[in-house]
Amino acid sequence: MDFRPSPAQQLLVATARDFLKKHCPPERVQRVALDARGVDDALWQRMAELGWQGLLVPAELGGSEGSLLDVILLVEEMGRAGAPGPFVPSAVVATSVLLACDNADQKKRLLPAMAAGERIVGVALADEASSLEVDARGRLTGRALFVEAAHVADALVVAARAGGETQLLLVPTDRRGIARWPLEVIGPEKLFEVAFDGAAVSAEDRLGSSAGRRGALQAGALARTAEMVGAAQRVLELAVEYAKTRVQGGRPIGGHQAIQHACADLVRDVDASRGLLYAAAWRTSEGVPAVADVAMAKAYASEACLTVARRAHQIFGAIGYCEEHPLHLLHKRIHAASLDCGDAALHLEEVAQAIGLR
Amino acid sequence: MEFGFSPAETAFAEEVRGFLREQPLERFPVDGMDAGYGSGAHSRAFMKALAERGWISMCWPVAYGGQERPMFFKLVLFEELALAGAPFGPLAGSWQTADAIIEYGSERLRREVLPAVARGEATFWQGYSEPDAGSDLLALKTEARRDGDQYVIRGHKIWSSHAGIATHGLVFTRTSREARRSRGFSMFVVPNGTPGMDIRPIRSLTGGVYHYEVFLDDVRVPADLRLGPEGEGFQALLNGLDSDRFWGRFYKAPALERVLRRLVEHANTTGASRDPALRRRLAAMAAEIAALRLLFYRAACLLRDGAPISYETAVAKVYADETGQKLARLGMDLLGPWAPLRAGSREVRLDGEISHAYLTSLGHTIAGGTAEVLRTTVAVRGLGLPAEPRKA
Ligand SMILES: Cc1cc2nc3c(=O)[nH]c(=O)nc-3n(C[C@H](O)[C@H](O)[C@H](O)COP(=O)(O)OP(=O)(O)OC[C@H]3O[C@@H](n4cnc5c(N)ncnc54)[C@H](O)[C@@H]3O)c2cc1C
Repeated sequence: MDFRPSPAQQLLVATARDFLKKHCPPERVQRVALDARGVDDALWQRMAELGWQGLLVPAELGGSEGSLLDVILLVEEMGRAGAPGPFVPSAVVATSVLLACDNADQKKRLLPAMAAGERIVGVALADEASSLEVDARGRLTGRALFVEAAHVADALVVAARAGGETQLLLVPTDRRGIARWPLEVIGPEKLFEVAFDGAAVSAEDRLGSSAGRRGALQAGALARTAEMVGAAQRVLELAVEYAKTRVQGGRPIGGHQAIQHACADLVRDVDASRGLLYAAAWRTSEGVPAVADVAMAKAYASEACLTVARRAHQIFGAIGYCEEHPLHLLHKRIHAASLDCGDAALHLEEVAQAIGLR
Repeated sequence: MEFGFSPAETAFAEEVRGFLREQPLERFPVDGMDAGYGSGAHSRAFMKALAERGWISMCWPVAYGGQERPMFFKLVLFEELALAGAPFGPLAGSWQTADAIIEYGSERLRREVLPAVARGEATFWQGYSEPDAGSDLLALKTEARRDGDQYVIRGHKIWSSHAGIATHGLVFTRTSREARRSRGFSMFVVPNGTPGMDIRPIRSLTGGVYHYEVFLDDVRVPADLRLGPEGEGFQALLNGLDSDRFWGRFYKAPALERVLRRLVEHANTTGASRDPALRRRLAAMAAEIAALRLLFYRAACLLRDGAPISYETAVAKVYADETGQKLARLGMDLLGPWAPLRAGSREVRLDGEISHAYLTSLGHTIAGGTAEVLRTTVAVRGLGLPAEPRKA
């Protein structure tokens, strides 16, 4: 048993931290969050130069051939920095679907471009938020909700019912019969309703049966957990720093037990979430069955990291209520990540079955 | 990163399971109450059975009769015993005391006490708290006065768990008045039955006896029963408390996992498992227990690697205790009107384990440093927040 990242992983984390400090400072995160488009193209390109979007992709497809565990450590840093952009849907979930699918042409066409940061692929895989269907003539109809970054996506991976089974399709966003409507949310993420009004689907759009969906959503669930853990870690650091420097009644507020105990609980929540995350990511990377581990990690972190953010608001007092202050963005990101790739209720049901509840 | 176990650890786990299969737990008479920490009841017979396997002393230096096995073997043993619900109550205390004796004990303690620990015969009670010294332990009044090659101990200890059935007390005393509040304390290993020692039981809220109060009326002990240098007892105690938090709670996660499995089985039998809210509560408990286990394993890696510990064991201890309370509470909810039935009653469910756990778990956030005091430790020692001003 060993909780320490390998030397190579430590290097990855240290590099990521330095890079994000320089190219994704809090002011920039704020600016991009308030911007309607909400994507930082220069940052996205720089990340691609470091091989981040291609971390899951093998070298022969232009990737940098990392492990899922590497991706998790990286996304944790991105969460800590509040880095904007559709990394999780495109570089984790859509990439995982494409890697697992049996459509060799699409793999060859898209994965190198995605790894190079030249293409972005969004995802609409959740059953609850979609009503997609392909009819007998190969027309895709219905709508998908909460599709992240559809406005900048070149294509979408969608799950649609076709002839009684669920099929995975890759649909270019500029195809006729597809409309993208922005949803307005409290957080920095850009979500869309995507309406399909008889868009034509051909054989080459088919990625095969839904076999790869589960694995991709699990990778996505882990990545979202990493994002929450990273953001909660940042909240913890900010709160402790503030507790040491904010003076009231002649001494730092961190000298009061009420604040001390709140901070002690923040560490507990972050550490416990991270332990579950790493263990689940390690098992998944090793190919050990990890469905329940992933579900536990996501469900646990969703509750614990959100609690961290909410308690931090109390520690900060009024300043944390300001748009200028970084806390609310971290908070909103944690909340959004908790919903994506299966919310806590869905994952808890997975756990319930794993522990033998009938 | 690596979250698996080595082949040697896996093989040892199998060996322990084999032992448990051969030795059904009903065979071991219980001599003292299960305090609910996860280490089961106090059973001398079970301690002897562990000793026969060489497991009590397996990690000690060869020079003291050990086999120098890696520390993780102790964790494997704890996990397997706790998952099985075995009565190994005194084991953590025996290990800790033995480690202290190996590290800084006198020749006499090493010669007389260590072998008795290895045989599973010597077990220890902790004589720290006093009526007016709880969280503020340094307010203690028990004094040990040097008299030739002896000390004369006088004072009053309370809440000493299992003092009446253990063989030796670890009695924490003041040996001198010093300017620094934390200096001038010394620890003694005092055999039960030493003249002047009066051990009286205190009945607990469970109806059983777990605590004792101990009156020390000029108890004379040889100087070489002092554990560590004179006046340096507090530092040793602090180290001890740090590892107490770890060793005294490590088995909580597997023990809770065992209880959770019983609750799941019960819910399946009664059909309560179909209630979505209950499913979520049980599933969330499973995740919390998994998180708890990993907090302890992380602390274990730090201890193994000799890395500094600032807050990790304190966080893990509080989490263990609060998670245990939460599970017991959930168990009571699940059992409904059957919840208050105690072991042995007609119609009792799950052997009365839940109502017992519900009561005993109330003490866990108090024993070994209260949850409040430990949260302060995490904040001050771990996060570097300013300590509260305190009177000297
Ligand atoms: C099950 C059990 C087993 C035990 N076993 C042993 C044993 O074997 N040997 C032994 O010596 N003792 C033992 N104890 C005693 C235990 O160590 C003390 O109970 C503990 O240190 C707290 O002391 P107290 O009970 O006097 O409470 P107090 O210290 O009086 O505390 C009462 C309340 O005030 C709070 N409080 C006190 N000081 C502070 C502070 N500075 N900041 C914030 N809050 C504070 C506490 O958190 C608590 O909520 C045991 C206790 C229990 C319940």
